[in-house]
Order: sequence, then C-alpha cells, then structure tokens
Amino acid sequence: MGPRHVLITGTSRGIGEALAEHYLAAGDHVVGCGRSPSSLTHERYTHCALDVTDAGAVDRLFKDLKQQFKTLDVLINNAGVASMNAVALTPVEVARRVMETNFIAAFNFTRESIRMMRKSPAARIVNISTVAVPLRLEGEAVYAASKSALETFTRIAAKEVAPFGITCNAVGPCPIRTKLTAGVPDKKIQTIIDAQAVRRWAVTGDVVNVIDFFLRPESAMVTGQVVYLGGVG
Amino acid sequence: MAISDDQIQEVVLQAMRATNQARDAASQLVVSTDAPIFGPDSSLDSLGLVGLLLDVEEGLQAIGCDVVLSDERAVSQKRSPFRNVPSLVAYVSTLSRE
Repeated sequence: MGPRHVLITGTSRGIGEALAEHYLAAGDHVVGCGRSPSSLTHERYTHCALDVTDAGAVDRLFKDLKQQFKTLDVLINNAGVASMNAVALTPVEVARRVMETNFIAAFNFTRESIRMMRKSPAARIVNISTVAVPLRLEGEAVYAASKSALETFTRIAAKEVAPFGITCNAVGPCPIRTKLTAGVPDKKIQTIIDAQAVRRWAVTGDVVNVIDFFLRPESAMVTGQVVYLGGVG
Repeated sequence: MAISDDQIQEVVLQAMRATNQARDAASQLVVSTDAPIFGPDSSLDSLGLVGLLLDVEEGLQAIGCDVVLSDERAVSQKRSPFRNVPSLVAYVSTLSRE
C-alpha cells in the first residue's frame, strides 16, 4: 500500500500534532485542521484553519479534499475540548459546546469521510475517547458524557460502514501532558492515575501505537472496539 | 443547474448496476426503469440502500446536481421515495428544483 491520505482534526497541538508528525514521517499525505494555525510545515501537510463545529467550513473542506484526492484512507477524530466542573455549576452553553466539539463534529467528519473512503482499500476511522468514560469521575460529567456518546457512535457506525470495507474504532487515553490536561488539578490527575493498572502518565506515543494497530491493513477484522490505555475499564 | 428526469434516471440505473457488482448472482437487483429498489419486492437491505444512495449522490454531483437524499423528509414520508426507480427519480427531481 502506498502513501495514505490521512485527515486529522485538532492538529494545532497535543495528540493531534503528534499524530500528524507521525504519519508525515511514515510517508503519508496529512490534512490537519484546527482553530489555530499549525506550526507544522511539510510538503505533504496541508493545514486548514477552521472550527470543527462550523458545518459550513467542514463542507467546504471536504469539497476541497474531493478535488485534491480521489480517496480518503484515514480519519482521526481527535479535536476535543474538556470541561471540568460540577454539573450544578456548568452553564448550558458550555455543555452544548463540549457536545458540539466532541461528538457532533466527529459525527459530521465521519459522515463526510464515508463518501470519500468507499474507494480506499483499507479505510479506517479512529475516534479519540478518554478513560473518563469508564472511570465516571465526578466533575467530568459533561466531558465524559460527550465521549460516551462518541464511543456508542463508534460501535454502531462500525456496523454501518463495514459493508464499505471501513473500520471504526476508538482509543481512550489516560492522562497525557497536553494543553487539555494542563488545567486539571494535580489531585484529579492523581485520582485517575491511581485507578490505572499501569500507574503513570501516558505519552502521545502510546496513543500512536494503538492507532497504528487500528490502521494496519491486517486489522480489517478489528472494528467497533474501544481500547483504553493504562489498563482502565 | 437544471437536470432532466432522464438524466436522473440514468444516474439511478448506473448506481444500481454498480451495486450489483458487489452482490452475488442470487441477490442481483433488477435494473430497469420501473424496478423496485427498497421494500418487500427487493433484496436490498438498509445498509445496501445506503451504499446505493451514496452512489446516486455521487453520480448526481458528477453532473452538477448537489443534493442530499436521506434527509428527514425522506424518512418521514409514508411511502418511501426509495421504494422503486420512478419514485426515487421523482424525489431527486423535486430536490433538484429547490
């Protein structure tokens, strides 16, 4: 299999940026997007500055992609926002924004990608979830609920896209030092790490490893799965 | 861009031929201008219908007609617009004029 066409949301920083660098190093063509510009510069990297919840902007992105590439091989729904707050103190606007970014945007990117993936010999959709779903930590109800929706979506979408030769899986990282976790109190992070079988911070390479497994052509029978890092779940 | 019902019909029939390429000999769709597509008279299941509709959407885009076939209206209609070739052609024709 030659270079793949990989679309990753949320590549401005963190896990998304690391994934983009990894697949560029592997020789793939990578299209990334995020609200901020990217510091990544590579002849096979295209960055599209957009808000993933802006349906019009996403529609334009896919129109451009269809003109550039005949097929799309990989979609990684990585863009996400966190909200750490008690339910009673969370404004409804915040809950809506979290659901829009973490679930609705992933749904929309998946919906559009299916159309381009049907001609790929080994199309893969990977969603980024979190160990906050199985751990059910207080203070993370909205964030975990949005990712829980994404996990259920992953499992059902897997059945629907299987006839097209597309797999759909998710990986749930435990805490990784990124901007998303920078605002989480140390005590909260320690609670999560204490609940893990492997009691340490993960690194982006741990996420890349699981995604690489999902993306292998030999993983055509692996679909509808959610893999948590650190032995959670 | 206005497209004729004949153009829409040809896109639908071409999508049905493409669908048949991925189906075994026993479950081939009848490809004709009055053939059933989805329902008791057809062997196409719901996931097969999705693939067919995506092919129809692509075929329509290729001739300059950008429509989304499976919106709320299609699902909520008492008689599915996807039941046969004439009903699908009529449905696309309505959407393309909006």
